[in-house]
Amino acid sequence: MDTGSTKTARAPQNRGWWARLGRDMLRDRWLYLLLLPGIVFFIIFKYVPMYDLRIAFMEYNMFKPEASQWVGWEQFTSLFAKPAFLKVMKNTVVISLWKMLFGFPLPIILALMMNEMRSLKFKKAAQTLLYLPYFISWVILSGIIIDFLDPTSGIVTNLIRAVTGESIQVMTNRAAFVPMLVVTDLYKGVGWGTIVYFAALSGVDPQLYEAAAIDGAKKFKQLLHVTLPAIMPTIIVMLILSCNNILNAGFDQIFMLYSETVYEVADVIDTYVYRIGIQKSSYSFSTAAGMFKSVIALALIVSVNWAAKKSGNEGVW
Amino acid sequence: MTMTKKKSNKIQTSLGEKVFTVFNYIFFTVLCLIMVYPFWHVAMESLSSTSAALRGGVFLYPKGFTLGTYQSVFKNPNIFSGFRTSILVTVTGSLAGTLLTAMTAYPLSKSRLRGGKVMMMLVLFTMIFSAGMIPNFLLIKNLGIYDTRWALILPGLISAYNCVLMKNFFYSIPESLEESAKIDGANDVQVFFRIVLPLSKATIATIILFNAVGYWNDYMSTVLYVQALDKWSLQAVLRQMLTNTQQAMEQAGVDVLAQSNTNAVTIKAASIVVTTLPILVVYPFVQKYFVKGVMIGGVKG
Amino acid sequence: MKHLKKALCLVLALALCVGLFSACGGDGGSSSAAPGSSQTESKQDGSSSEAAGDDASEPEGGDTASGDKIDPTACGDMETMKVSVANLSGYSQDGSMMQKHLEEKYNIDIDLIVLPGWTDGPTKLNTLMASDDMPSLIWWGWANDKEYQQWKDAGLLVEVSEYYNKYTNMRDYYNSMNPMTLFYDTEDDGKMYRMPASCAEPACESLYIRQDWLDNLDMEVPTTIEELNEVLRAFTEDDPDKNGKDDTYGLGGAGRDWRSFWPWLQGYDYTHYDRFVVDDQGKVGYGPAMDNTKLWLGEVAELYKKGYIKPNMTTATDREQEMANGGFGVTYTWCTWTNKDDAVMKAFYDAHPNAKWVAIDMVKGANGDPQDDPSTSAAWSKFAITSACSDPERLFAIWDDMAERDNYIERIYGFEGEHYTFDEDGEYSPIIHPDGEENTTQNIGLNFFYPIFYRTDDAQLSKTKPTLALFEKVIETSRARADQLVEWQNVTELTEWQDVGTDITDEAGRYMWGVIAGEESIDDWDKYVDTLKGLGLESAVAQAQEVYDAQNAKVKAYMDNKVNQG
Repeated sequence: MDTGSTKTARAPQNRGWWARLGRDMLRDRWLYLLLLPGIVFFIIFKYVPMYDLRIAFMEYNMFKPEASQWVGWEQFTSLFAKPAFLKVMKNTVVISLWKMLFGFPLPIILALMMNEMRSLKFKKAAQTLLYLPYFISWVILSGIIIDFLDPTSGIVTNLIRAVTGESIQVMTNRAAFVPMLVVTDLYKGVGWGTIVYFAALSGVDPQLYEAAAIDGAKKFKQLLHVTLPAIMPTIIVMLILSCNNILNAGFDQIFMLYSETVYEVADVIDTYVYRIGIQKSSYSFSTAAGMFKSVIALALIVSVNWAAKKSGNEGVW
Repeated sequence: MTMTKKKSNKIQTSLGEKVFTVFNYIFFTVLCLIMVYPFWHVAMESLSSTSAALRGGVFLYPKGFTLGTYQSVFKNPNIFSGFRTSILVTVTGSLAGTLLTAMTAYPLSKSRLRGGKVMMMLVLFTMIFSAGMIPNFLLIKNLGIYDTRWALILPGLISAYNCVLMKNFFYSIPESLEESAKIDGANDVQVFFRIVLPLSKATIATIILFNAVGYWNDYMSTVLYVQALDKWSLQAVLRQMLTNTQQAMEQAGVDVLAQSNTNAVTIKAASIVVTTLPILVVYPFVQKYFVKGVMIGGVKG
Repeated sequence: MKHLKKALCLVLALALCVGLFSACGGDGGSSSAAPGSSQTESKQDGSSSEAAGDDASEPEGGDTASGDKIDPTACGDMETMKVSVANLSGYSQDGSMMQKHLEEKYNIDIDLIVLPGWTDGPTKLNTLMASDDMPSLIWWGWANDKEYQQWKDAGLLVEVSEYYNKYTNMRDYYNSMNPMTLFYDTEDDGKMYRMPASCAEPACESLYIRQDWLDNLDMEVPTTIEELNEVLRAFTEDDPDKNGKDDTYGLGGAGRDWRSFWPWLQGYDYTHYDRFVVDDQGKVGYGPAMDNTKLWLGEVAELYKKGYIKPNMTTATDREQEMANGGFGVTYTWCTWTNKDDAVMKAFYDAHPNAKWVAIDMVKGANGDPQDDPSTSAAWSKFAITSACSDPERLFAIWDDMAERDNYIERIYGFEGEHYTFDEDGEYSPIIHPDGEENTTQNIGLNFFYPIFYRTDDAQLSKTKPTLALFEKVIETSRARADQLVEWQNVTELTEWQDVGTDITDEAGRYMWGVIAGEESIDDWDKYVDTLKGLGLESAVAQAQEVYDAQNAKVKAYMDNKVNQG
C-alpha cells in the first residue's frame, strides 16, 4: 500500500505525503517503541550473520578465510548437474506433499472433533497424551518402528499379514516406504499440530453458537458456519507458513529409516547433500543447497500469500 | 456420564449426533493408547533389567523390574547440571521471548502502521533464509557471550514463525476494545499491556509453550556455543549419552567393545524419561487457557 | 489496574530469572575465560616463539632445543602447562581422580572439551578450529581427511615427526602391531601432522556357530562353504532346537551389513562390497563392480530366497539386539563376544541357558583359501597437536609417556587392587568397571582420554585369554585378503571419486541389496555395471589406478628409508 503511494506521490503531492507520514509516525510512536527491541533483535541475530550467505558463491575455506575463492554459481550448477538431482528433487516434493496432504488437515479435524467433546477431563487427558510422541526423538522412534515392522516378529507386520494375508517388508519395499514415512510423521506430529487450533478455538465467541442454535442450526451446521470461519485466519496462516517446509521432507526421520533399496523413492535433497558431504565435505556446497531450498520456499510463500489475499483472506503480510 | 451431561444442554441432540459422540470417545481412546506407546515403551524399558532391554521387543510392562537405573541416572552430575541449565534457560527464554514476540507482533498487526508491511516481510524473510552455523557461531563469539548461558537464550528469543502466529491472533481482536481505552487517554503501550495482553491469554499460553518446548529441546546451541560441561543443556547431555559410540565404530569396521558390562541401554531409556517428563508438565498449565470462550470472558470480567 | 498488576508481576518474575541467571552465568564465565585467552595469545605468537619463551625462563625447557629428551614426569620446576583436549568418547566429567592424578604427575592443567556426539562432533570440532579457541590437542574419529588437509594447510597443526622418533612408545607399539599403520599418517616428505589415535586389530570378526544345534542334528562343524550352506538349511528346516516349532534360521546377525555375508564373499578373490580391490598384477578395480562380486552375491541371494537367512537381515537391525535374541545358528561377528562377561552374550544366555556359541575356523570357498575380514591398516581415529599448544614437545612427551603399557593400563583400568584385580586364572576382574556407573558417580575417571591412543594388545586387560587367542587366529587368516584390498593414504587425491562416489555407491547399494531382497535380478548384472560406468566409474577407477601406483612407490620409499621405524 505505502509502496504504491510512493510511486504516485511525485512532486506536487510530495510535501503532503511526507507530512502525512510524519504525522502517522508521530501518532504511532508508542507502537514503534514496542517494536524496537524486536527489530534490534532481528537485525543483530538474524541479519548480521546472513552476510556470510555469500559463501554459497565461494569455495570457502573456513580455517583460512583469506584463501577462499569466488566461484560464482559453480556450487549451484554442480548441484543441478548431479545425476540424482532430479530424482531427489522429485522425492522431496512428493514426500512433503503427501505429508502436507494428511499432516495439514488432520490436526484441524482432530481439534474440531475434540472440541465437540463435553467431558473436560477426558478432553484434557486426550490432548496431553496426543502430543506425547512429539517428544520422542526419531532416533528412539526409528528403533521402535524397525522393531514393529520386523518381517518375522513385528507386531504391525503380523497385523498386516492377518488382515491381507500378505507379508510385506515395509522397510525395503519401494511402494510401502513412503506411506510409512507419512504415517509415522503424522503419528509424531499430529497431536502437536492441534495445539495452535485449540488456541484459536478458544477465541470463538460462545454467543455465536447460542445464536446459531436458536436459529435451529444443527451441530454440523454450527461447525460449518461458526467454528470454521472463526478459525479460518489461523488455518490460512498455518498453510502459508507450512510452505516453508516444502523442500524439507524431514531429514532426521528419513535418515534414520531409509536404505539404499528405497533411495529411489526416499532419497531427498537433505539426505543426498549429507551423503555427498561424506565423500567431499564442502561447506559452500551445502550452503548453496540450503539457499536453493530457501529461494523455492520464498517463491512458494509469496505466491500462496498472494492467492490467500486474492481470495479475500488475511495473508501473512 | 457424558451422555447425561450432554442432555443438560438445552439443545436437542439428534441420533446422528449421539452416534458421533460415541464414536468420538472411542476414537480418541484408541488414538491415545497408540500415541502413548513409544513413551510407555521407553519408560518400561528403563524399569527393566539390562538383559531384557538388550533383547528389545515390545514393552507393555517392565521385564525384570528394577529401579537401579534411575538411581544411577540421578547420580550422574552431568544430568544434574543439565537440569539446572535447561530449567534456567527455558524459564527465562520462554517468558522473555514471549513478551518480546508479543511486543513485536502487536504493532505489526496494525495495518495503519507505516512501514509495518515491510518490517513484517523482513521478519518473515528470516524464517526462510538463515545464516549457517559458522556465521552464527562467529556472532556469538563477537558478542562476547560464547560459553555462557546467554548464548543458549538470546538467539532463540523471537522466531519469525511465532511472530506471524501472534500477529495473526492480535489481528482478530476487535478494534473497538482498544478504541474505548484510547478514549480514556491510554497510549498504545498502555493499551497493549492493559487490554491486549489480558485478552490474548490463550495465544500467550500457546507461544510460551512453543518457546518452552523449543528451548527445552534445543541442543544445537549447546553444541555450537557452549564448551564447559556444567553449562550444557540437558538435551545435549542426553544426546551425548545416546551417542552410540560403538555403533559408529562398528560402521568404521572396528570392534572396540572389549568391555561392555554395562547397562547402557536402560540408562539411555531412563535418561529419556527423566529429560522428557519436566516439559510434559508444562502443557496442563497452558491447557487451562484453551477453554472455549476465554477471550470474551476476559472482556466481560 | 488489575491487568497492570499482572503485567508487573510478569516483568518482575522475568527480572528475577534474569538475575538468577546472571549470577550463575557469571562465575562460570570467568573461570573459562582464562584458558581461552592464553590460547589466543599462543596462536598469534606461533608455537615456536611460545616454546622459546618457556626456554628463556626455565632452564629445563632449554634442554629441548639441544635435542635432549624432556622427562614429562620431572616437569615440577616448569610452569604448569594448560592442556585443552577435544575428545568424544571416554571419560567426560571434570575433576576426576584420574584427571587430578595426571595433572599432578605431569604438572599440567587439563581442560576437557567434550565433543557432543558422533553426528554433531565434526561441526563442533570445525567451529573450534575455525575460531581462536583451538584446543591444544584434538581427536577426530570421522573420515575428516579433507578437513585435515585444510587444517594442515592453514598451519593449525604442529609437525611432530621429530618427536615421534624421539619419544617412541607410540611408534614402537604401532610398528609391532602393523608397520603400515604409520604410513597412512605420514606425509610424502616424511612429516607428520596427525597421529593414529586408535587402530583396530588387523581383523576383529570370526565365524560363530551354535554347537548345541549341531549336536542336536548330529552334524559336524562345517569346513567348506557347501557344508556351511547345508548347515544353514538344516538349521532352518530340521528344527535344531527341538521345540517342534518352525522358528529358527540359518544365518543371522547385523542387518544391512555386508560383513554378515563375509563367509560367501571370501570364497572369491578380488571382490569387495564397497572398497577398491587390487589383483596380483597390481590392477585396481572397484569391488562392487568386479565380476566375482556377482558370484557370491548370487549365492547369498539364493540362500535368502530359500529362507535360510533371517529375513530382517536386509533391514538395519541392531546387531546387539539380534544377537541377544538369537533364533539363528550361524553368524559372522565380533571376536570380543567370546568374552564371558559380555553384556550381549549374557543377555542371550539368560534367555537360552542351554545354548552354546562357538567360534569356528573360516570355511573354504571356491578359491580354497579361507580368509577372515581384514580391518584397515590405517587408524580409524586420529589426533593432532595444534598450534595453540604452548609447548608441543612437552605435550608430546606426556602423551607418549601415557602410552607406555603400565601407564596405559593405569589410565584405562585404574590401579590394581583398588579398581581391579586378577582372578585365579589370571584374568582381569574389575572392582570398578571402566564403563560402569561407579566410575561416573564416584568421579574416578577410568577410561580417561580413551581412545586418544588406544592399545589393542595384551594391555587391553578386558580381553580374556580365549579372546586374545581368537584374535591372533583371525588376524593370521586375514593377511592374504588384506593384500587384495586398497587403502588410501590421502583420499582427497581421488578427485574424480569425490565427485561421482556418492552416486556410484548409491547405485551399488541399491542394486546389490535389491538382489538380496529379491527386488532386483542377478541377471541384470551387466546392466548394473553399465549404469555404474554411465555414472563415471571408469575414469574414477583410472584415476584410482594412478593414485594407487604412486602410493605404492611411496610405500616402497617409506619402507626402504625406514621412516618412523627406528
